[in-house]
Amino acid sequence: MFANFTRNGVTRRKFLGSAATLAGAGALSSAFPRVPLAADKVVKIGFLAPLTGPVAAWGKPGLDGCRIWAEWVNAAGGISIGGEAHMVEFVAYDNEYDPAKARTGATKLIREDGVKFIMMLGGDTWPGVQPVADNTGMLFSTLLPSDLSPDTKTLIAPCEVHPVYNVTGVEWLAQNKPDLKTAVMCAQDDALGLPSVATYLAAFEAAGIEMLDEPLLFDPATTDFAPVVTRLLSKNPQIVCLDTCYSDYVHPIAEQLFQQGYKGQIISCTADFYDQMIAKTSKEFMEGFIFQFPDFDDPALNADFINFKDANKFYQVYNERHPGEWGAVSWEYASIMDLWKAAAESADSAEPDAVLTAMTAGGKGKHAFGDADWWGSDLFGIDHALVGNWPVVVIENGKATIKGFKSIPEWYAKHGELLKKHMTAYNQMWNQR
Amino acid sequence: MLELLVQTGLNALYSASYISLVAVGLVLIFGVMGIVNFAHGELFMVGAYVVVALYSQNEVPFVLTVAIGLIFVGCIGLLMERTMFRPLRDNPLGGLVASIGFLMILQALASMTFGVRMAFVPPVTQDVIEFTDKIRLPVQRLYVIIAAFGFLTALWLFLTRTRFGWALRASAQDPEAASLQGISITQTARIAMFIGAGLAGVAGALTAPLISVNPHMGHSVIIAAFIVVIVGGVGSLEGAVVASAAYAIVHTFVTTFYDGVLADITGLLLMLIVLIIKPTGLFGTADRA
Repeated sequence: MFANFTRNGVTRRKFLGSAATLAGAGALSSAFPRVPLAADKVVKIGFLAPLTGPVAAWGKPGLDGCRIWAEWVNAAGGISIGGEAHMVEFVAYDNEYDPAKARTGATKLIREDGVKFIMMLGGDTWPGVQPVADNTGMLFSTLLPSDLSPDTKTLIAPCEVHPVYNVTGVEWLAQNKPDLKTAVMCAQDDALGLPSVATYLAAFEAAGIEMLDEPLLFDPATTDFAPVVTRLLSKNPQIVCLDTCYSDYVHPIAEQLFQQGYKGQIISCTADFYDQMIAKTSKEFMEGFIFQFPDFDDPALNADFINFKDANKFYQVYNERHPGEWGAVSWEYASIMDLWKAAAESADSAEPDAVLTAMTAGGKGKHAFGDADWWGSDLFGIDHALVGNWPVVVIENGKATIKGFKSIPEWYAKHGELLKKHMTAYNQMWNQR
Repeated sequence: MLELLVQTGLNALYSASYISLVAVGLVLIFGVMGIVNFAHGELFMVGAYVVVALYSQNEVPFVLTVAIGLIFVGCIGLLMERTMFRPLRDNPLGGLVASIGFLMILQALASMTFGVRMAFVPPVTQDVIEFTDKIRLPVQRLYVIIAAFGFLTALWLFLTRTRFGWALRASAQDPEAASLQGISITQTARIAMFIGAGLAGVAGALTAPLISVNPHMGHSVIIAAFIVVIVGGVGSLEGAVVASAAYAIVHTFVTTFYDGVLADITGLLLMLIVLIIKPTGLFGTADRA
């Protein structure tokens, strides 16, 4: 090795000298901490979600949305804490939807980056992070309330009430297309798919819609969906439910439904990049497709009860910067930050415990789609899910259109026992997971 | 029920087609070079991204794109042979580790070039052959079946009717004896890598409009291919084709009549049963196992 170095003109003496200089510089930099300058006025927020891999569609667009949110908030003077304006800075860590990487990321964000709050997608990655949350008391958010349990007091679900909001789509379907009475369903067999299966089963039962077959579960590694669709269509259903399948599955399944001649109703939790689905099938085939995530240029989001500020402008800016990338989560993490900002300013502190207390004070909160209640002890063992209204979205003439906002608490008040029955059957209650 | 059986059979035929292209390529590389190419699934992925780059984004005709995909991925195979497998020829474990590193590089390059999210590939055609109301074969899937049959037939003719093919088979059977007969091991390795990688690439390119194209799509394909290679007999091309058909039939029928998760378990059980009854695989020989 040294022979090679000397051949290239680096002598042993020079090498040792350079190494000593580098070592000395390293020691000095660790002995004298970096002068923070403006760092006292910066609040760091952790973004711990899949930014690559098959689940990236539910992470990366959220980070892009958060960066717009931070730009707007910082331009407006930042967050006021202790009488001082604090700029917001997001520190992202790609967990690749892997629990071990999520745990490493959570530790790094807390210990090295000094974040005050960490937003996650949740699901399969939460069990990796839970011990870190329990040990550090860091405030975490998840998009999936099915991660909630009374074991962790610092996990909140302030935006999505996945999968419970899926009941609103089925309720709307039953009210508006009462002649549709039979359904089949498929889902990937994972932490995202199974609680959603239980929810759809409860919603269909509550709506008097008969399931023609057991939900068809497939491995998340599935690439060819023709056999899945053949099985679904063999029952001659009036409704095909795609559960909470990832967009990488929703697209090929929809394409297969089209190719195998299905002409009935489709209902799904998401329809990310539905314009591409239309391109792969047809406008007529996708007409009436029901899902739960609106485009934010929808005029219905200008209603007075909507708490997400400037939804139409947010959508416009997002699409200018990330054309064709708008998806279910583009706005969600940003809406969580609205709640966090309000709580931090109310608490006059960015510390996790103070923010959590302020956020949940009075049991009420301002959800993106209207005022809502902190709820969930019945289903999740803790009232850490912010639940209110949720939109039902239908594709009409090639465009996602909000058909109305339906109340999740009202549905639960009538049919809560059904949901608990099916959640229990799929081992998805908080005390079973 | 008959209609369901026939439709499932058509689904299995498509599945067997593209899996056999990937598996035969994998077997060819192992047979000639003795290296397990873990990056083979990513070569499939690169073939799909060639379609994204040319057909989807630049409107190059699909057939031409598939041909370019074959040549481009074949050239990546040549690059792998020259930079990784040839220097590590006497170190199969080293070759395996290098291929794992290379798959990560390909995934990262795909992510940086095309983004992490599923890429859009417009359908080549929306035509469907309707045998009955319940038995339908999309023409896109028929293209894959015909192309796979054509490529595998061409490969068989190449291996059995040409001097290069004989040299390849000789090197696969006994590299030392082949070398003593004047066959260049380096040359045969190059040909094997080009064909093996090219077949994976062409499989990816052909199926790109039918599946979700993303940087991690090679993962699930390589698992199926490895099961097929083990069931067919490591190093056996005929075994890979027969096992692809067997695996596709089992997996497709179990998915249709039970569920997809059980189908995966059944696929692994199939491998286990074959290994218990015939540890060398259906067509394998003891010296390659």
